Formats: sequence, structure tokens, C-alpha cells
Amino acid sequence: MPRTLSLVLFLLALALAQTPLDKLKAALDRLRGPAHEGVYLIRIERPGSEKVYRLKVYTDGERAHLRVLEPKAETGLAYLSLGQDLYLYDPRLGRTLRLPPSARGERFLGSDLTYQDLMGRDLERLFEVSEAEGVLVLTPRPGAPTPYGKVEVYLREGFLERVVYYDQRGQAVRELLLKGYQALSGAFLPREMELKDLLRPGYRTVVQILEVRAGAVPERCFQLLYLERGC
Amino acid sequence: MTLLRLAWRNVWRQRRRTLLLSLVVVYVTVAVLFMLGFLDGYGESLVESYAAYVEAPVVVAPRAFFEDPDPENGFKTPFRVDHPRVLAQTPRLSLPALLRSPYRTLGGTLLGVDPGERAISRVPAKVAEGRWLRAPGEMVLGQRLAERLDVRVGERLLVETGEGALGLTVVGLVRSGVSNVDFYGAYAHLSDTRALSGVWATHLALKVSKGQEERVARELNGRLPPGLEARGVWDLMGPIRADYEANRLFFYPLLGLFLLLAALAVVSTAYVSVRERLKEFAMAESLGLTPWRLAGQVALEAAIASGLGFLLGLLLGYALLLYTATHDVFGPLMRLSVELLPEAGLAEHLYTALRPGYALFAFLVVLFSALLALLFPGRLLLRMEVSRYLKEA
Repeated sequence: MPRTLSLVLFLLALALAQTPLDKLKAALDRLRGPAHEGVYLIRIERPGSEKVYRLKVYTDGERAHLRVLEPKAETGLAYLSLGQDLYLYDPRLGRTLRLPPSARGERFLGSDLTYQDLMGRDLERLFEVSEAEGVLVLTPRPGAPTPYGKVEVYLREGFLERVVYYDQRGQAVRELLLKGYQALSGAFLPREMELKDLLRPGYRTVVQILEVRAGAVPERCFQLLYLERGC
Repeated sequence: MTLLRLAWRNVWRQRRRTLLLSLVVVYVTVAVLFMLGFLDGYGESLVESYAAYVEAPVVVAPRAFFEDPDPENGFKTPFRVDHPRVLAQTPRLSLPALLRSPYRTLGGTLLGVDPGERAISRVPAKVAEGRWLRAPGEMVLGQRLAERLDVRVGERLLVETGEGALGLTVVGLVRSGVSNVDFYGAYAHLSDTRALSGVWATHLALKVSKGQEERVARELNGRLPPGLEARGVWDLMGPIRADYEANRLFFYPLLGLFLLLAALAVVSTAYVSVRERLKEFAMAESLGLTPWRLAGQVALEAAIASGLGFLLGLLLGYALLLYTATHDVFGPLMRLSVELLPEAGLAEHLYTALRPGYALFAFLVVLFSALLALLFPGRLLLRMEVSRYLKEA
């Protein structure tokens, strides 16, 4: 009997045990939250200056539609992310442009964030994942298209709490902090995201979720036509 | 012969005046020779940079690619040219890319090359740190580009194009002394660029003997399949060629004007000299010399005065050209130009050209002097009232 019990416990433990990659995937799944629409605030801090954006965001977890509400000079600027495709509508040009895949790694609205930070899955796609002292240590796969030498992912109760990007000389260059996870329709969403450029003191971007409403987002929000008209 | 001897003697009657005149001509001759040598040297340096480093002596590509250098307009399938004057050929694939290090992202052109293309390009021989490409997954950067990206040998660089991305390991840094290569050169294995673009190559780089570029391009254009075009190195240069040609267009008339002004200086002195010697000329005419011969004598005097300066100027000018053709005198100037115009394809070294033909152009000063002397002081003699001056005598 004890032998059978041991075997059952062993099999149960095996089934429940997560590999470091599983932990990372689960944490990334939680990062995006459920389908929701909300208002995000992006504060871009530079030495001696600050710029604030308010964005309306619609997302179903895989696709996202972002519209700039403020500042007024950039109102109407809109992004649509459909898998690997990224589109930009610029009201000043009156045109929608398909951005190259490389744009996903570009600075988003001049901040320290990239679109990849907001929506991407690069961490699981490009890196080998191992675990050391409770920290997920990500090293690039051979030939992986990433400039980083190592990424450390700190989890807390399965949630992504801190991500530190290192260059190939072992120096930390970027730090992403995620705070205030809230439960929304059975999923979770961080209330605040902070990204620091560790090479340039005073360069910091903070993303805060001001309003959020969980629930299905109309399909039209993910159509190009509505990128111009507004969802 | 008597006229020449007479003119020679007259020239040395006012020794100081003649020496001063000759100095003016020396100065102008040296300036003209130097400017011509500098212009040609600049042109040769550009051709050298583009033929051996930036482009190739001759490039064959689909016409659409020359008009819009998008990889999609390149060769979809392998292609070779057959021409007896083509010494070597290699496919290349040029595609716009973003180069991303952890610190900086820069846009540029990634050039996919066959690692064995040393026969065509001198870039592989200019690796200052690390080594040249050997296998896929590697890349070589211009040293200044690597500095701007802050990437070192052995580190991985993210290369992104509209079609995809690759992490390539930097295995070497190039220090060629040609601005385009050092500031913007990004070289990857041909197979990596094919993976990023989906085309076989964007163009074929051909090696031909120096001076044969335009001829081979012309001949190839007569036999290439429709839609393909061959261009010699001059046609591959872009805006810097226009700058060079504009310089030539500007400097040739300017140098001609220099020569004319020097000749005018000679002639104005000859004019004064003739006015001072009118009685003497009247006497000579009364002794049987025709006015035309007298005018010829004045023209000969002007030609001798400027000719002396011209000969000395030739000596000094060619000595200067010889020195600047063999010594890197313009290095600091060119390095400054390279910093100011890194995209121009300028080389950090410029050596002047040295051609006998410059002497012919500078000889115009002697011709101008003689002709103008015939025209102005000569005319004074043609209209001279001999009796009046004889009375005064």
C-alpha cells in the first residue's frame, strides 16, 4: 500500500512539475490578461522632460488595437497588431502603413518600450530557458535574432514580476518591472509596467492601466478599415 | 632668327620687369598643373574606391533593380555572364536592413557576399580585427559602424529586414580607409541574405582590367538578355560623380581664366614697354623692318617672357605633383572630408595624378601672351606714325 501511494504521489508530482519553459509560458500568458478594452497611460520620462500618452486599447489577448487619445497633436494615431503583422494609421498622412516585422522591436511612441514588450512572445521563442535559484535564466538559442546575451525573468507566484535584459558582456541594459496584477474574468493583468534604460540614467517609461473592462471585443476592432475610423 | 635674337635681347634689357612677369607666369603654371593633377587624382581615387571597395568595376543587374534597389527586383535564378574581358564574377545580394545591438539600432544596407570573392573586392583584405567571413551565421562590419553600434568581434548582432530577422555573429571589423565601407559596410554570407530576402542575388559584380570598365559594360549591354543591364564603375558612383564632374566643369574655365589673366599681365607690361620704345621702333621701321615684323617681334618678346615663366612653372609644378603623387599630403584633409561626408565613398588618401597633357593646357599662357601682344601693343606699332617719332628722335 505505501509503495502504491508513493508511486501515485510520484506520478502526481511529475504531472504537476513545470519545466522552466512551462513556467515562462504560463507567466507570459498571464501577462496579457483576458480580452479587454481599457485606457492606458504611458509616461515617458527623460532627464528634464516628460511626455504623457493616453491610449485606448482593445485586445483579445492575441490581437490588439491601440489608439492615441492624448496628446492632442498625436490624437488619432492608431496601431493594429495582427499576429506578426503590424499596421499604423497616421491621421496626418491619412494613410495606413504596414510596418515591417522589425518595427515590433522599435521604440513604441518614442518610449523605452517596444511593441514586443507589450505583445510579443520573443522570450519563449528565441531563448533557451533554465532555472537557477528561483530565477528563470534565458540564453539565446544559436543564431537567435536577439541582441541580448542573457535575460533573467523573476516570477512571483507564477506572475512575471521583473525582467532584466543583459548585453553580451554581462551588463544589465534594460529592466522591466510589472506590478499590481489584478484578476479579470478569470485571467490576470498587471496594473503597472515600468521599463528602465539601465545605460542611460533618467530614461524610464511607465505604463499604467487607468480603466479596464474585461469582456469580448468586437471583431471589427481588428479590421484595417476600423483602424482609420476608430473601433 | 634675327628677330628671335632681337626679341631675346630686348626681353633682358628690363631684367627686373621680365623676372617679375615670369614669376606671375610661374605661379599660374604651378597652380594650373596642381589643380589639374588634384582633380584627376580625386577622380582616380573615386574610381578606385568604387571599383575595389564600394561596388565593382562592372555590375550586371536587372534594370528594375538599378531603378529601384529592392531585393525583389534582383535575380530570382542563378545567372552568369560570358565575356572574354571579364576576369572574375560573383553574385551579391544587397538588402536594406536594421542592425540592432543592445544599445543602438541603425538602418543600413546588408551586403551578402561569397566569402571567396577576394578576386573582386579588396574589402576582405582590409580586416583590421578578427577575420573575414567563412560560414553562414557570421558578419563583418566596417569599423566605424561597429563603433556606432557598440558591437565587438565575437558578439551577436540582430539583423532585421522586412522579411525576417537573423542573429549574426560579428567575426571581423574592416578598416579600409574608404568612407562607405568603414562607416556603413555590413557584410554577411550570401546564404544568410538569401534566407532573408528569398532571391538568389541582386546583382553580379564583375572584375575587369582597369580602364576597361565602360567598354566591357557597353559590350555586355549588346549581348545581355532583355531586362538586364551592365554598368561600369562611373555609372555606379551616384551623387559623388556629379560632384566630381561639376568640379571639372567649374575648374577648367576657371583655370583658363587664370591663364588669360597671367597673359594679360604680361601683355600690359609689353604695352608699356612698346610705348617707351616707340622712337626705337620708328627707327627700325625706317631701316626697313615692316610694321608686321615689328608687331611679331613684340609678340615674340611676350612669348619669351611668359615662356620662361612657363618652363620654370612646369619644372616646379611637376615636382610638386610628383611629390603629392607619392606622399600622403592630403591625408588630413581627406580624413576630415570623410568625417563630414561619410556616405560619399571618399578615400582617406588622395594622391595627385601626373600627366604630360597638363603641360599642353598650361602652355595656353604662352599662346595667350603672344596673341594678345600681337593684338594690343602690336596694333600700336601697326598704327605708328613713323615720321613723327623720327622727328622727335
